[in-house]
Formats: sequence, C-alpha cells, structure tokens
Amino acid sequence: MSILTYIFALPLLAAVVLAFIPREFRVVMRTAALAVTLLSAILAVVMFLRFEPGAAGFQFEQQVPWVTALGISYHVGVDGINVGIILMGAIVAFAAACCSWEIKTREKEFYILLLVMTGGILGAFASLDLFFFYFFHELALVPTFIMIGAWGRGEQKNYATFQITLYLSIGALLALLGLIALYVQAGAQTFDIPRLLEYVVRQNHPLSESAQRFAFPLLLFGFGILVSLWPFHTWAPLGYASAPAPAAMLHAGVLKKFGLYGLIRIALPLMPDGARHWMPVLAWLCLGNLVYCGWVAMRQRDFNRLAGYSSVAHMGFAFLGIASLTTLGITGAVVVMVAHGFLAALTFGLSGYIYQQTGTLEMRELGGLLRKMPFIGTALVMAAFAACGLPGFANFPGEAAVLFGAWNAFRLVTVLACWGAMVIGAIYMLRAVRSVLHAELPERWTRLGDANLWRRLPYAVLIACLLIFGCFPRLLTDKIKTAQAYLPAPGEHIVAAAVAAAETR
Amino acid sequence: MSLDVLPWIILFLPLFAAVMITLLTRHNRTWSAGLSIAAVVLGFLLSVLFVWNAGWQPATAEMSASWLSVGNLQVQFGLHLDPLSVLMMLVVTGVASAIHVYSFGYMREDSGFSRYFAGLSLFTFSMLGIVLANNFFQLFIFWELVGVSSYLLIGFWYEKASAADAAKKAFITNRLGDFGFLLGILTVWTALGSLNFGVLQQKLVDDPTLWGPAAAGAGLLIFCGAVGKSAQFPLHVWLPDAMEGPTPVSALIHAATMVAAGVYMLCRVFFLIQPSGALPAIAFIGGLTSILAALAAVQQDDIKRILAYSTLSQLGYMVMAIGMGGPTPAMFHLITHAFFKALLFLGAGSVILAAHHEQNIWKMGGLRTRMPVTFWTFCFGGLALAGLWPWSGFFSKDSILAQALSAHHYVYFVLGLGIAFLTTFYIGRLLVVVFLGSSRSAACEHAREAPPVMAWPLRLLAVLSLVGGWIGIESVLLKAFPGPSPEPVAGFSQQLAGPFLHAPAAAWSGILVFALGALAAWRVYAGTKSDPLPAKLGSFSRAMRNAFYFDDFYAATVIRFHDFLAVIADWFERWIIAGLAVRGVHGSTELAGRALRRLQTGNLQTYAFLFALGVAVVLYWVLGK
Repeated sequence: MSILTYIFALPLLAAVVLAFIPREFRVVMRTAALAVTLLSAILAVVMFLRFEPGAAGFQFEQQVPWVTALGISYHVGVDGINVGIILMGAIVAFAAACCSWEIKTREKEFYILLLVMTGGILGAFASLDLFFFYFFHELALVPTFIMIGAWGRGEQKNYATFQITLYLSIGALLALLGLIALYVQAGAQTFDIPRLLEYVVRQNHPLSESAQRFAFPLLLFGFGILVSLWPFHTWAPLGYASAPAPAAMLHAGVLKKFGLYGLIRIALPLMPDGARHWMPVLAWLCLGNLVYCGWVAMRQRDFNRLAGYSSVAHMGFAFLGIASLTTLGITGAVVVMVAHGFLAALTFGLSGYIYQQTGTLEMRELGGLLRKMPFIGTALVMAAFAACGLPGFANFPGEAAVLFGAWNAFRLVTVLACWGAMVIGAIYMLRAVRSVLHAELPERWTRLGDANLWRRLPYAVLIACLLIFGCFPRLLTDKIKTAQAYLPAPGEHIVAAAVAAAETR
Repeated sequence: MSLDVLPWIILFLPLFAAVMITLLTRHNRTWSAGLSIAAVVLGFLLSVLFVWNAGWQPATAEMSASWLSVGNLQVQFGLHLDPLSVLMMLVVTGVASAIHVYSFGYMREDSGFSRYFAGLSLFTFSMLGIVLANNFFQLFIFWELVGVSSYLLIGFWYEKASAADAAKKAFITNRLGDFGFLLGILTVWTALGSLNFGVLQQKLVDDPTLWGPAAAGAGLLIFCGAVGKSAQFPLHVWLPDAMEGPTPVSALIHAATMVAAGVYMLCRVFFLIQPSGALPAIAFIGGLTSILAALAAVQQDDIKRILAYSTLSQLGYMVMAIGMGGPTPAMFHLITHAFFKALLFLGAGSVILAAHHEQNIWKMGGLRTRMPVTFWTFCFGGLALAGLWPWSGFFSKDSILAQALSAHHYVYFVLGLGIAFLTTFYIGRLLVVVFLGSSRSAACEHAREAPPVMAWPLRLLAVLSLVGGWIGIESVLLKAFPGPSPEPVAGFSQQLAGPFLHAPAAAWSGILVFALGALAAWRVYAGTKSDPLPAKLGSFSRAMRNAFYFDDFYAATVIRFHDFLAVIADWFERWIIAGLAVRGVHGSTELAGRALRRLQTGNLQTYAFLFALGVAVVLYWVLGK
C-alpha cells in the first residue's frame, strides 16, 4: 500500500475509532488526535524526503479499480505539484490538533470532525481520480461548517456559518458542473486524471474550443469561490473571524488551496484554449484580491478579520501566478500555496491563543502584549513579516517567482500587484503589530501569560517550516520542475520569444 | 583552509551570533553580548587577514551557489569580490565593531540587552550581504533584511508610542522606495536577460546599445531604491524619526549600514546607471536633499536630530556626486563619513547618557571640562564633518567639489560650497552650545565621563576621522572605478598635499567656506543662552525647524489619500459586495426555500423524479452546446 494511503486514511480511521470511545475520556481523545496527526505528519515528511525530484510521472502511486463501467478507481499519487501541499497539510493538521486545547465543550465531536477534516483534505490532494478528488473535498468541507456553527465565537457566528456554507456550496457545485462537463466532453470514459491527461494532451484529443470556453469559467469561478477570488471573497474574513482557531487554521491553510490545486491540476492542462481565453480576466480579478482587499484590511478593527483579508489578498498571488501561464508563475503559485498554508495556520493559531487569553481581538482594546507574551508576540511579528513577503520566509520566493513570471504577461497588473505586495501589505500588517503588540500595556492585561513550552510547539514547527522553505526554496521548486510535463502552459511561447528577443538584440 | 572561504565566514558570523542569541543565550546578558561582539570583531580581523593575503582584487572574484532556479529565472547566492566590496567589507565590520563594543557600555542597564545585540548582529549580517552580493536578487533580499533589522532596532523601545511609530514609518517609507527598486530589477531582467552584476557589465561592455528604450526608466526605478534606503528627497522623512532608537543604533544606521546601502548600491551598478541617462535627475535629487537637510539642521535643538539632518545632507552630497558621474568621490565620502558620523553619534550618546537622557542642546553646556575625552573626540568628528585640512572630511568633500568642477557642473559646485558653509555652521553651533560656556541644567553640572568601554571606541574612531583621508582609501576606490581621475599617489605627504595640487580652486574654496562657517557659528553662538536665530529669521526659521513641513504635507496628502481609498474600499465591501450581493443571494435563497418547501411532499417518488429531471437538465445544458 502506498504511503499516501496511510497519510490520509489514518486520521479517518482514528475518527471512526473515536466515535466508539465514551465522551468522558477526554485525555484519550486529545492524545489520539495528536498522535494520529503527528504520525501522518511524520509520514508526510518521509514521503517528501523520499520523493525523487528528477523522476517523471507520479510517485507513491496506488490504483484500485472501483466502478469500472464509469472509469472510477481509487488512485493516489504525488508529483511536484501536490507533494509540497500534502506535506504542508499534514504538518498544519498536527499544529491544528495541538491548538485544539482551547476547545472545552463537546470535545469528542470536535476531535472526530477535526480528524475527518484532516483526512478529507489530505485525501483530496492525494487523489488522482476526479471522483475521489471531489468526494474527499466535500468530506472535509462539511466539518468546517459544523465547527464554525457549533464552536465558533462572536455575535455574527450564525451569519458567518450561513454565508460560508452558502458560498462554498455554490462554489463546489459550480466546480462539479465543470468537472461533469469535462468528463462528458473529453469522451475518454474515465475519471482518472492521468489517463484524461494522456488522452487529451498526449494523444491529441483536445476538447472543442467552444466547450472549453464555457466549461472553463465553471471551473474557474467554482474553484475561485472556494479560494475566495474577488468579488466572491466575503465569506472568508467573516468566516475565519468566527471560526475556532483549529478550523480556521485547517481551512485557511489547507482546504482553501484545493481550488488552486484543481485549477493547476485539471483546468489548465485539459482546457488550454479556455485558459488562454479567460486568463486576462483572472489577472484583473486578482488585483481585487491583492489591492482592494489590502485596502479593506487597512480598515479592519478586529485582528482576525484583518488576517482574513490578508489571507484573501495572498490568494491573489497564487491567482496571478496561474494567470501568467508561465512555468515561473505557476511554480510560484505552488510555492505560495505551501507558504501561505503555514503562514495562515500560524496567524490564526496565534490569534486563537491571544483570544483565549483576552477574550477579544479588537485591536483598539489590545496593545503592548509583547511585554507580557514575548514568545507569542515574537511569533506574531514573524508572521507579519512573512505576510509582508520578507525574504527568509517561504512566501518570498513564491511571490517573487509569481511577479517575475507575470511581468511579461501582464505588465500593468504586475506593477499594481507589486504595489499591493510591497506597500499595502506592509501598511496593514505593521499597523496591526503596532496596535496589538507595541505601545503601553493597558491595565487590564497585566495578568496575561506567555505560552508554556508545550503550547509553543505548533507555532515553533510552523515558523521552522516557513524559514526552511524560505531559505532553501529549491527544496520545493526542484520538485515542482518535474511536474512541468503536466503543465502545457500555453503562454510559455510569449516569454520564450521575449527572452530570445532580448538575447539576439 | 583556503582563503576563499573567509568572506563566507565573515558574512555568516553575525547571523550565527544572532541565531544563537535568539535560541540559546537570550537569558544570559554577558554571553549574548559576548557572542555578538566576538562575531563582528572576528569578522573584522578576518577581513584584514583576507585583504592582507588576497589583496584588493582577489583572484577568485566570484563564488556562488544556485539559490532558486525556475524556468528562465536563475538566482544565485554568491559573493562578488572586487576593491569596492572588499573595502566596504572592512569598513562595515570595522565601524560596526566599534559600535558593538560601545553598546556594551551604553546599553548595560537595559532589560532588553540580549534582544538588542541579536538585532545588531542581524543588522550587520544584512549589510554585509548587500556589500558582498553578486546579483540584484540577492541584493534585494538583503536590502529587505536591512529594512527589517532597522525596524526591530528603531522600535527597540516599543513601549514608547513614538518609537513604535518611528519604526513603522521607517519600514513603510523604505517599502515605497523598494517598490520602485523591484520594478527596476524586473525591467533590468527583461531588458538585459540577467541579474548578475558581472554578466550585466560584460553585456553592456560588449554591446552598449543593449539597454534600448527601457534605460532611463530602469535607471530611475533602481534609483528609487536608493532614495528610500539612503533617505533622499522625497522619502527622507523616516530618517530623523529613526532617532527614537538607542543612540548606538543611530550610529550604526547613519554610518556603516542602512543609509550607506543606497549609495553603495548606486556605485555597485554605476555601469548600468551611467548609460541609462538617469544621472541628471540623480544629481538634482541629491543636491536638493543636501541643501534642504543642511538648512533644517541649523535650527534643530535635539542633539540627535541635528546629526540626523546632517546625515541627510551628507548623503545628498554623495548622491549628487554620483549624479555628476563620480562614484569614486561618492564612495570616498561615504567611507570617511562612516568614520566621523559614527564618532559623532557615539559622542552624542555619551553626552546623552551623562545628561540623564536629556537631548536638548540648550539644556547642556560646559561639558568640555567634565567630559574631556568625549569633547576632544567630538571635536575631531566635528572638524572632519566640517572639512578642515587634514581631517578626512576635507579630502572626500574636496574630491566631490573637484568632481563638480571637472564635470563642469558649476551650479552644483556653488551649491556644494553653500552646503559646506551650512555644515560648518551647524556643527559649530552644536559644539559651542553643548561643550563650551556654562552648564544650563543640573544634570550637566554633575556629568561624568563615559566608562572606558565607551571611551575607547571614541578614541579609535577619532583617529580614523583624522587619518581617513590620506591612508590610501581613494586609490583603492580608483581601482574599482578606473577612469580619467588623477593617478593615485603613494606617500602620505603626497596624499596630504594632493587636493591643493590637483584642484587648487576646489581645495582653497573649501578651506575658505570652513573659515567663514566657523567664524559665523562663533559670532552667533559664543556665550548665548538661547538661539538668537529664530528672532532674526522669523518664519523661515520655523520652516527650518519643522524641516519644511514635509511630514505635515505627507500626513495631509499621501496618508490621507490612502486612508481615503481604504474607506472607499471598505464602504464598497460593506454595502455593495457584502450588502447587495450577499444579502441578495441570501434573500433569493430564502425565497427559493419557501417555494421549495411546497415541493417537500415527503413523497419519495416525487424526489426521485425531480432528481432525475435535474440531472437531465444539467446533461442537456452540458451536451447541448
């Protein structure tokens, strides 16, 4: 059996087992959740290290036929695109389990949902079959709604639950329609992604151009809504502000990347004409994320909402990278996905700690917390710097690659994106640091305490990941390189021509 | 061990210290300080060893490893060793060593001692990275790291609201410049197809027309980076506020690191900027910054702010020199300025400490007899800044003035003389008011000399401020920028007399304006209890005091405008997107829900029928097109 199956099946299995344990055994629940997520994180690290960057095709593959009539099979495997994401997802899941200590009610249900969500996410990223790809995503999505509704915080909890459910369900539905259209139009009689690619790309059975033009936007906007593409993003800040920290960590960090992954894995290679047709639209929409949401973030008073808008803004980089349709841009997008996963988990984990201590995230009421919480405060400063795209953190190489990749494709959009990245991001992040951590400590917070050694663990792990991939980006990019066989990026010739022109001049 | 590994060690020693302090020794003050100081002093000694053995032009000029390689973007992490970077490496580690040692005395009572030294080490590492970088991308990485370390150190006393604000302002203002810098790098990459300095230079040598139409824009965009980091007009506003950091940090920022980075970068890529046609604009910005800042310095009362505006003015001088086509004079002045400005700031620090954190010069006075070492060393720094022969500042300033003459920029020559006059005047004012006369506060009457750990760095820097002009720095720089400049000379005496032989007009007029400035300062300020100038100059003095109202202007325009955009975006978000769209969907869904409730018959057959109908509709829609 493939190591991938263990990575995502262990949490699911543990969820089933936990269902049979009486709810009084709280310690058992927590220990089991921690142990299982740790185990799957370790397995993911092993897989990441054993992954051979040079080899072609998928690695750690496993295929079991299921419904042969429709061409559905259980098929998992990784290449450069999802190997980093699965590693990130497993580590974030462990961190989220660590941060679940804030949950004090109905722990049994919480941990079961957390494990189902973890298994679902990792399964979705590991699956190479459209059916399971979609099924696992839905499996992870439903627990998110329940977790926000049942364990959420704030007055707008119910509205937030309603909104996030509505948006994400519509997004998923649109994507489903697009996938069905794809299946039908491709005519390969298979749900298997590599075989679809083989059939459509290699054996040269492209989808008709008109089919691509109407099926592509279904996937683009369906997946886009899941990733909070402007103007379908309003569910995200409110949802993350209301969600319990572990749910926000897992959703903002990992589950949200599903849409981007779907675009890169399925939509781009199978519908290159549709992509070429729609990418300018996407490029301009992503400015809504990068610039507009940055401005909105400047106006937020609640730290979690600010972090939510910041996370929406960061998705703009991934969209811009995809829209550029260059190797550089798409590689950058994948790096951004991985980096932002760690970063979002770190930010929401830290804000969860502060909320647990103070009972509020209103930035006007906070201040001077760095004195009382040196570790949490320093970690938050690092998260803010990573969000500003500071070198040394994993976001920097990703964002840089995206900007370099998009520069030739969309000059003006890239200029504005640089403005969003360099200036607007710095303004709202440093304002947040200033009002939460700096200045004098208000009287009421003098009794706050810093995290103890055990509670520091998840934050330390996430920061270490950000730093490692930030200082040695080739750990990721070299692996992504092999996946380029699956990325027939139709815009590549533009850049090649520009470079050739520059060289002959 | 091969010699080639030395620069790598020198570069990474401070980072190692910073990491070790953060992870291990943060609770042990002595160990933290020891690690940080040892790292930078060892770095300096190794730099000397390296120059001793390999010379200014090492055989292995370039060492690199691939850092990022995707598609057509190849980024290396490498070192570029030539006279320019090797000399700068010496200066950075040397001046930083003095400041590190001094800090051990200055900060000894602060509770954030370890955090402070970790920040200093990170700062030194980032600056060394800029100095040694062999390509634009790596330069940009360290450029950003310099920004962040300055943020951490300016905001070191973050509990003070003013310090926290100053740190934020410095970082964001720098980011504005970096925005242009990044676009400049992108333009260079597309136009010339490489980011490596050596490759770029070779390409331009092989084919000078390669630049094409993108040149002027790219040159100005790259200059934007220097405008932010070296605090040139119109992004100069962060530097005076940066005084909120501990004084040794100001010394570090103003002397060897940070602000030096912009000028250094311009010299490093001078081969790109020169053919780009951006030089006149650079000279103009430099000259404007220099004169405005010098005027502002005349009417400041805070000892550190006087020095801060002085730095702005001197940086403008260097940028102006680059704009006149003279990277050698600019670098020369950068290095001598590093010596005497570090000295002046450290001297100011020991004055401030003795006066119990009083920074207003009108509450000091008479410190000459109580703090002799500080006084005499400060005098050396002041004379070097004012440019009296044979102090170092005279030689570097003279080479800039000579550059203006030889390039026939007579306007800038006169401007340079005017600035030199103002410089002598304000530093004379500072010296007279702070050290001479009688004490104007109780703290100053009982002021005591700084302890040896602070006094020795002052003495060392005082010596450098004196001799820096004639120990051959210029001839090393001439190796980096070979050109029509006069041939380097060997002996000390020849170097001492050099300016008077090569460009007598510049040298003598420099001496003359020094005399005028010193005389004016003495006449106006000797024996006064308060500043007589505001009464004489009226509103112009107020404008100078407020640095010509740039902060207020920005607060009223740039910041207001961005906040205005944010308000608009927020309103749109709240009422249009979240309001109409979401609530609209909400409303229609609810309506649909009510309608559908009628369909909820509980009849399984009805459900199955509707389901099949739905699938059929979808399939028809999908296949029908």
